[in-house]
Amino acid sequence: MTTETDQAPGRAAGRRAWLRDHSELGVCALLLALGVLVLADALTMDVDIAQRGPVGPRTVPVAVGAGLLVIAALLAVDVLRGGRGRAEGGEDVDLSEPADWRTVLLLSGIFLGAAVLIEPAGFPVAGALLFWGAAFALGSRRVDRDPLIAAVLSLITYAVFDKLLGVPLPGGPLMGVL
Amino acid sequence: MNALTSLLDGFGTALTPLNLLWAALGVLLGTAIGVLPGIGPAMAVALLLPVTYGLDPTGAFIMFAGIYYGAMFGGSTTSILLNTPGESAAVVAAMEGNPMAKAGRGAQALAAAAIGHFAGGMVGTILLVALAPAVAELAVDIGAPDYFALMVLAFIAVTSVLGSSRVRGLASLLIGLTIGLVGLDQMTGQQRLTFGSLQLADGIDVVIVAVGLFAIGEALWVAAHLRRRPAEPIPVGRPWLGRGDVRRTWKSWLRGPFIGFPFGAIPAGGAEIPTFLSYVVEKRLSKQKDEWGKGAIEGVAGPESAASASAAGTLVSMLTLGLPTTAVAAVMLAAFQQYGIQPGPLLFEREPDLVWGLIASLFVGMVLLLALNLPLAPLWARLLRIPRPYLYAGILFFAAVGAYAVGGEVVDLVILLVIGLIGFGMRRYGLPVLPAVIGVILGPGAEQQLRRALQISDGSVTGLVDTPFAVTVYAVIALLLAWPLVKRAVRRGRTAA
Amino acid sequence: MRLRTPLALLGAAVLVLVGPPLLSAGGGTETGTRIPGLRLMVPNTPGGGYDITARTAAKDAEDAGLTHNIEVFNLPGAGGTVGLSRLVSEHGNGRLAMSMGLGVVGAVRSNHAPRTLADTTPIARLTEEQDVVVVGKDSPYRTIDELIGAWRKNPGKLPVGGGSSPGGPDHLAPMLMARAAGISPKAVNYIPFDGGGELLASILGGKVAFGVSGVGEYLDQIRAGELRVLAVTGPERVPELKDAPTLKESGYAVEFTNWRGLVAPPGLSGAERDKLIRLAEELHDSPQWRRSLEKNGWDDAFLAGERFGAFLDAQDERVVSVLKELGL
Repeated sequence: MTTETDQAPGRAAGRRAWLRDHSELGVCALLLALGVLVLADALTMDVDIAQRGPVGPRTVPVAVGAGLLVIAALLAVDVLRGGRGRAEGGEDVDLSEPADWRTVLLLSGIFLGAAVLIEPAGFPVAGALLFWGAAFALGSRRVDRDPLIAAVLSLITYAVFDKLLGVPLPGGPLMGVL
Repeated sequence: MNALTSLLDGFGTALTPLNLLWAALGVLLGTAIGVLPGIGPAMAVALLLPVTYGLDPTGAFIMFAGIYYGAMFGGSTTSILLNTPGESAAVVAAMEGNPMAKAGRGAQALAAAAIGHFAGGMVGTILLVALAPAVAELAVDIGAPDYFALMVLAFIAVTSVLGSSRVRGLASLLIGLTIGLVGLDQMTGQQRLTFGSLQLADGIDVVIVAVGLFAIGEALWVAAHLRRRPAEPIPVGRPWLGRGDVRRTWKSWLRGPFIGFPFGAIPAGGAEIPTFLSYVVEKRLSKQKDEWGKGAIEGVAGPESAASASAAGTLVSMLTLGLPTTAVAAVMLAAFQQYGIQPGPLLFEREPDLVWGLIASLFVGMVLLLALNLPLAPLWARLLRIPRPYLYAGILFFAAVGAYAVGGEVVDLVILLVIGLIGFGMRRYGLPVLPAVIGVILGPGAEQQLRRALQISDGSVTGLVDTPFAVTVYAVIALLLAWPLVKRAVRRGRTAA
Repeated sequence: MRLRTPLALLGAAVLVLVGPPLLSAGGGTETGTRIPGLRLMVPNTPGGGYDITARTAAKDAEDAGLTHNIEVFNLPGAGGTVGLSRLVSEHGNGRLAMSMGLGVVGAVRSNHAPRTLADTTPIARLTEEQDVVVVGKDSPYRTIDELIGAWRKNPGKLPVGGGSSPGGPDHLAPMLMARAAGISPKAVNYIPFDGGGELLASILGGKVAFGVSGVGEYLDQIRAGELRVLAVTGPERVPELKDAPTLKESGYAVEFTNWRGLVAPPGLSGAERDKLIRLAEELHDSPQWRRSLEKNGWDDAFLAGERFGAFLDAQDERVVSVLKELGL
């Protein structure tokens, strides 16, 4: 948003505070980027199928993309006028503390790791690591108990899905060996 | 009165001790499987269908009815307790049910859902008995322009009525519509927003979007702001619905079926639109508006009742037209064929005993569902007393299981995480999550119906408004949009006077 | 106390690594035609032709005791190419097959789908089926000549509904019909539905002027008098619908039959592939399947393995040439 630089006070500290206060403009930027992406994708689509009627495969994406641009602008106006989206509260949520980014990153990493492991190492291994890792990241430190809980949970889930219900899950490297 | 005597005969078969046992077993099994992550009613019913193969037709259908209703209720249970809807019809149950559960009113939420299912199923099945031929006749008159109008109504209703900020509601809806665009175009097979990726050509499964936005987004959001002081265990509270709860919800239970049933009966209906609409209606009519979003019990009772009644509606077109409108109905078709029975216009004449036995067993199944699950609700609710790290680790774990079980693809897990991060961002900046989910669920359908309507009218825009039904729906939309203005005008008029 | 941690870790590791193979031991033996956990994918919506084919085949195979517990599931979209690309991505999965037919061949062509049937393991062609031209019971058209007469006058205002995307059988049949009647195929207003369920409602409700679909999908509605058959598209009349004339005897030079079969993911071992083919063969030989063929108005057209693969290639070429001929 070009308006940021126009209105931001000269002093660096002030500018930082203003930016933090108006961080919702980042959402506008993301919506804007998304809109451009959708429009670009729609307009570069080559429609060569005999199409009947005024609405083809392009029409709706163009409308959605344009809508995103408009909403991005409206939201920016709202934010600059002082409108704020209220962060969601909840029973387990303490909004008085600053966000704990380390835990979020850690959880995301563990989740990705489990996703990568699920095929080579099998679902029980990946699932157990996911559960234990997530519990650890969220503050549980019972190293003598948590891995066992995770392993049992993961194994039971595997058994229920793969054996009882016939929804196939990968079993792990020892599947053909034993 | 012919229908009534036939129905009484049906009860005669359904109420033998052995058949009651099958029904009870069906309800228990259905609930147990429906509770599993990523398994909605359709999948639960499909997975359990072979269990009924050993029985005689009547016993099998009675057990089947139990499985069906049990699975629907089981799906809502995970939605309420863990915020992980197993299918799109259970999405709304999470909206108010999960906050209730977190506030220690999980048992009440489950009880409201169970009674909702019971009431919806009862009223729906009564409507099925009374109106089946007439409804079936009307259902085929609903065409593409009407569906499109209904979907627009759903979009407008959730964005303008629900959120506190319309801009943010619309932004959320547009994010959902964008996610819904990903994949092959339904009508022409054109690739959209796939960036050449094969995995994205399938589109993004609704379950993954819902679980991502709800469960993963929530877990990450909580992780970022977890109370560091020793968490008090969630109070269990009283296990039963209080008198105040009942006073608030009985109307919702009874309203739900009349929203749900018609939608179930129309060919492209299903349970999504009626649950959303029921939610909006209940919020509008509620006297405790400030409780919404923090656990308003009507928000569980109404939609659950609507969902259950829509299932009864599904049976109307299924039994009288042989038209499976949902995946569950398709599985039921297979179950009928198992016994060499072809549902369709001739079914009621050819197999009266079986049809009426089935309808009677629907009633029996619902009574058993209530009888078995109401006492179990407090036990289920105890699930939330496990320590926070385990609870949220478990939610992440089951969300991953659900997403993986849907398609067996690792990419789905990555998409799940990305959508979870979007959900995290939306929570941070106060974008409501529900419009996005509705955009994903209804967006592709709305586009298809729009294009079909315009094609049927050979390109003329009047094709969108040439049915009385569509015009009525647009009038409702106009009213909905104009309502705040009217209200302001009235208030201004009053203060001026 | 200190020992407990490594013990717990060790225990957990043993559980997750050794548990699954131990659980599998004994259970789920693959003998004869039994394929535990076999799943059948239907690439269109419930109630459509592939759906009925898959569910009938699954049920008959179970009744005949060939295998048990076949799960049938739907993955609709873009005339079957969404399901196809999913099937192809399940490389080496010997417990999955997809019901398909001419419609998928056509959809791959007209959609320029990234994955084609050449990427799959062909199992067997099962059935052949004629298309029917049907109208609702309240429709003003009582004969095929009346319908085509009105259609000639204003093709745009008489939308045709069909259960397949452009290039599929329900699309090709009315196009060929239009050409034979002297209507430009480009003027035909064809509306695709994914599968037969919603299409049926549109025909009954008069949303489309007429529908074109497989015989088996609407037999019951036809018998009940909800739908009226104006013509069948094949070379001779269908035994179940003796009164319905063929297009050819009505004076329109069209001969068109649809077929359906099963394909499996690519990358199967020889044994896995043979097993699926053997299952299809035994299904074909079972009395249950004979009965279903008759009941649904399907013709037996069994063709297995390599020969089915060659047939798929030939069909692909045919679809391309027909689409080109029609100028679409």
